[in-house]
Amino acid sequence: MKRIRISRCGAQLMGAQAPRRPICPHAAQRQDVAPHHHRIQLRWASSLMAAARKPNEIEIDPAEEAAEESSIDLSEALTASSTAKPPQPPPETLPSPHPSRALKSAKLAALRSRLSLPPRFPLQTLARTLVHPSADPNPHFNNGSMSILGANLLGYYTTEHLLCNYPRLPMSVVFAAQYAYIGPKALATIASEWGIEAAAEPGGEVDPGLLQFKRARSGDEDFPSALKEVKAPWKWNVTTTHKIVSSDEFGSTKARPDPQQLTGQPVPIEEAAQSFVRALIGSLYLHLGSPLVKRFYRDHFLSRHLDLNKLFDFRTPTRDLSRLCAREGFEAPVARLISETGRLSRHPVFVVGVYSGKDKLGEGSGSSLDEARIRAAAAALKGWYLYKPLEVTVPSSLEGEVDTSKWKPNMVDCGEVIV
Amino acid sequence: MASKRPIRTLFSVASTSVRPSRSIARSCPETSTCAFSTSTASFGPEYETEAAERPRWQQTPVRMVAPFRIRPQPKGPAFKVNEDPRRLDEAYVKMLGPNGDKLLSEEVKWLAITHKSFDHGRRGFNDRLAFLGRRIVSLQTSLALLNSSTPSFLGTGAQQDGYGRAAFQHAALSGLAGLTTEAKDDVLSRSRLAPIAERYGLDKVTRWKPKRADNLQGSGQESVLSTSLYAIIGALALERGGEVANKVTQDKILSPLGFTFA
Repeated sequence: MKRIRISRCGAQLMGAQAPRRPICPHAAQRQDVAPHHHRIQLRWASSLMAAARKPNEIEIDPAEEAAEESSIDLSEALTASSTAKPPQPPPETLPSPHPSRALKSAKLAALRSRLSLPPRFPLQTLARTLVHPSADPNPHFNNGSMSILGANLLGYYTTEHLLCNYPRLPMSVVFAAQYAYIGPKALATIASEWGIEAAAEPGGEVDPGLLQFKRARSGDEDFPSALKEVKAPWKWNVTTTHKIVSSDEFGSTKARPDPQQLTGQPVPIEEAAQSFVRALIGSLYLHLGSPLVKRFYRDHFLSRHLDLNKLFDFRTPTRDLSRLCAREGFEAPVARLISETGRLSRHPVFVVGVYSGKDKLGEGSGSSLDEARIRAAAAALKGWYLYKPLEVTVPSSLEGEVDTSKWKPNMVDCGEVIV
Repeated sequence: MASKRPIRTLFSVASTSVRPSRSIARSCPETSTCAFSTSTASFGPEYETEAAERPRWQQTPVRMVAPFRIRPQPKGPAFKVNEDPRRLDEAYVKMLGPNGDKLLSEEVKWLAITHKSFDHGRRGFNDRLAFLGRRIVSLQTSLALLNSSTPSFLGTGAQQDGYGRAAFQHAALSGLAGLTTEAKDDVLSRSRLAPIAERYGLDKVTRWKPKRADNLQGSGQESVLSTSLYAIIGALALERGGEVANKVTQDKILSPLGFTFA
């Protein structure tokens, strides 16, 4: 039988394959790239085996050295054996995967391309953003610092978007809208939409593309106290204005735990996912710069729809509206019945409009006259508070910009009406 | 109504003597929103309808003022609030530089230093401006902490790491070790910001109402001054853009706190 000639093998017919990954500039120092010279290869292999036996010593056999002909080979061999690092400890002993494993993770590469991030964003940083401080306490290996920066960026961009587009929004609604856009639950939802899966237990052997954190089991006694409700000791009534300087961007009443405080403590998955999304924003800013982060924010956060008019909760809209008209110099509001039906039946409908002089400020319908009047006043107040200018330039659009011709000063409203 | 008129004026005179700082203007405050009303504002005969236009910061809206005060005056001395535009401009020049008083429009200049406690919030307050300003200052502080980390932080941490790992090195990530919540809380605490605000004279021009005029510290002056400081930054951001606001934050707030910028 004739032997098949090598030229008919399929692999050779395919042509030269492009390298899957760009050549790493640090390849010479990496353990898994073998040096090309055969003598160094032998020595490298033997030094590796020796190092495996004794992790802290690298044997250089003087008998082998003497057998060498050239001094150049000797110096090459010496440098090769000295730069060959001691082999890494077994992955199970590490708290999180070694950074070098990030380059081999399919999940990380897929995540990077799914988020349309440019290839110059390192996979090692992406791997680091997935490690919560509860999994790995070393600040150089977890996402604590990056999540602080990311939280600041998200807060800034969301605040300027809300205040420029809705200049009259009351403060409590601003807090609620911030929570809806970038709060813990929203970020956890976004993380799951991006396809982030969590590792069952953190460790060095898990896939670097999984979210790693120490899980809090349900019914656990040792829930971190930092995440529990903190009862205010003597300040039982913190005003909205005071929350602006003392609390976080959502005006929350309980103290926000510091990421580094949570080292080693079990956390819920929501906390870890929130930390990941923030850390991702922070790392994008550091590696890729603010224009790209703004585009990312616009694509992933501002594209989410939020019904601001559902965030309002009026207690006495009629009184608020009356004070608002007095403040602005309008005529006092008067409620007038526009139309009605079924007054004596079981389901009447009254349509009431609130008028200031001849202008109708708002209209509402209800099954009683009072209900309709209150709904009309609430609609009038929403019409005032939800005013939106047509064209808006946000402050961050001028950062790093030389051309300031497109800048349009934003409207600054004096504040919501205080009764 | 002629018989009632003398009594009404008697009350108004009495009330002015009790509240010397309040000026009761008998004119219709014309705000920009009045222009959109299709019906003319009609007032009763007891008000004189002058066409004088008073800005919002200068007087409390006429229809929100009760004819006389029912509640007793608070205990302690009265707190005098600045009403002079020139003193306000001086404070802005002190803080923002030679043209500091021209950076913001007149209404916003007053709004930024008006706390919610002033005049029961009827002349506007700086809540929203302070909210935005705090976000900007917080972000700039984080960036300053990142850039100011000492080279010792650049170490791989392999010696400190008990597992002998070397962290991934990149120029962009070099300052991350310096960014912690403790560091930020230290920098941006109210007890450190209030003296900076006092240095710029904001404690003389901030309009607020302390609980006790003889115990301003106990009434929360630190918090009110921090709010004013943040609000000025927020106002600059909304009216002049993020670049100006960031620059002012770095030069006027973070530099006095010890950061250096290139």
